Amino acid sequence: MWNRRKHLLLSSLSLLRHISSTSHLPRLHPLKPSPLLSPSNSFLPPVDSQLRNNLLLELPLRGFPRNLSSSNSCSFCWNCGVVGPTSGVFLACGSCGAVQPVDASVDYFQIFGMKKIYEIEEGDLEGIYKDWQKKLHPDLVHSKSEKEKGFAAEQSARVIDAYRTLKNPLSRALYLLKLEQIHVDEEKTVSDPDLLMEMMEMREAVEEAKDTQSLNEIQSKVKKKLDSWSKSFKEAFNKQDFGSAVNCTQRMKYYERALEEITKKL
Amino acid sequence: MLRLIGKRLLPQTQTLGTPAAAAVGAARFYHERVVDHYNNPRNVGSFDKEDPTVGTGLVGAPACGDVMKLQIKVDEQSGKIVDACFKTFGCGSAIASSSVATEWVKGKQMEEVLSIKNTEIAKHLSLPPVKLHCSMLAEDAIKAAVKDYESKKAKNGSSEM
Repeated sequence: MWNRRKHLLLSSLSLLRHISSTSHLPRLHPLKPSPLLSPSNSFLPPVDSQLRNNLLLELPLRGFPRNLSSSNSCSFCWNCGVVGPTSGVFLACGSCGAVQPVDASVDYFQIFGMKKIYEIEEGDLEGIYKDWQKKLHPDLVHSKSEKEKGFAAEQSARVIDAYRTLKNPLSRALYLLKLEQIHVDEEKTVSDPDLLMEMMEMREAVEEAKDTQSLNEIQSKVKKKLDSWSKSFKEAFNKQDFGSAVNCTQRMKYYERALEEITKKL
Repeated sequence: MLRLIGKRLLPQTQTLGTPAAAAVGAARFYHERVVDHYNNPRNVGSFDKEDPTVGTGLVGAPACGDVMKLQIKVDEQSGKIVDACFKTFGCGSAIASSSVATEWVKGKQMEEVLSIKNTEIAKHLSLPPVKLHCSMLAEDAIKAAVKDYESKKAKNGSSEM
């Protein structure tokens, strides 16, 4: 089923390339199979020619092929052939329940049906996550084919990744920047004395804290700073001021490290 | 398969304490030199920042939230580094890199230490590619310390005139 679909798409694309270069071709009859297609696809059974022609009608005769990878109208279930949903993501078939292979062009926000913004409803994440796992978890497919077990493993791992990334504010911020193709140089060193002095003193304070009470005080101070920089990130990102946005994530990273150390000590 | 690697890693991590990076599920171990610097840290401490013979290099790697402070004490007559200390908040590789840096700068001329390359530190500690930036941080810290000392000297020199 999968190979047949690939052949269909490939033949449609090669037809388009041919048509866009030769404008004098007669208009294709909707019901008769195209003479250009039949030589290369004579091995396909007759029932598919109708499907093929329907596809042809949808594709424009001139210009670029439609973006097939992210368009849901061209997604079919590999198991039962039912067309995927026109809105929302296609992770499991609504008709037969078969888990679908991972589509890397679907981003984490789409999986959770949320807008690509920083200020998402964090409370909704867990519910949606659990709903997905009820359909995708590998334990549910232990009696299915190896192929489907593979899809379930990858798909549920992706949903877990998406959940973790979106739940934590810093990773969500970094993911948003990644989607905007903002490349952050991982190896860059900074020497801003004020920033580093503050972080150094903060870490030293954590190290020297003698009891739970002082640790808790430091923890609440750091959390406040993290929140305020988190708000600054939101504003910078919404204004598309990506330079400041990256700056904010760097500070947030330092505060998060400090909070990790505090948690370890507590 | 990851579970197996995790089990194999466990005996290693228990003797090491908790170097942060070992918690990652990759089958990668710290080189014994890194472990040595982590367990037996040399030259940890602080000099007085205001001391005119002290140069302080403060650098950070925002991608991993590391901060590194490296200080040198310079003999004004000869320009030789007589003592060095460091304080680093970061992973085992970052701590080891800065520790090695303080060992290597001691007894050398200031111009000489500027030629210490991160690749040499990385080779000495057998750092994996993912930790190369830690050695880069140490190299930057050395340069920053020297630069700080020189600018202090220039300021003090001009104020004396």
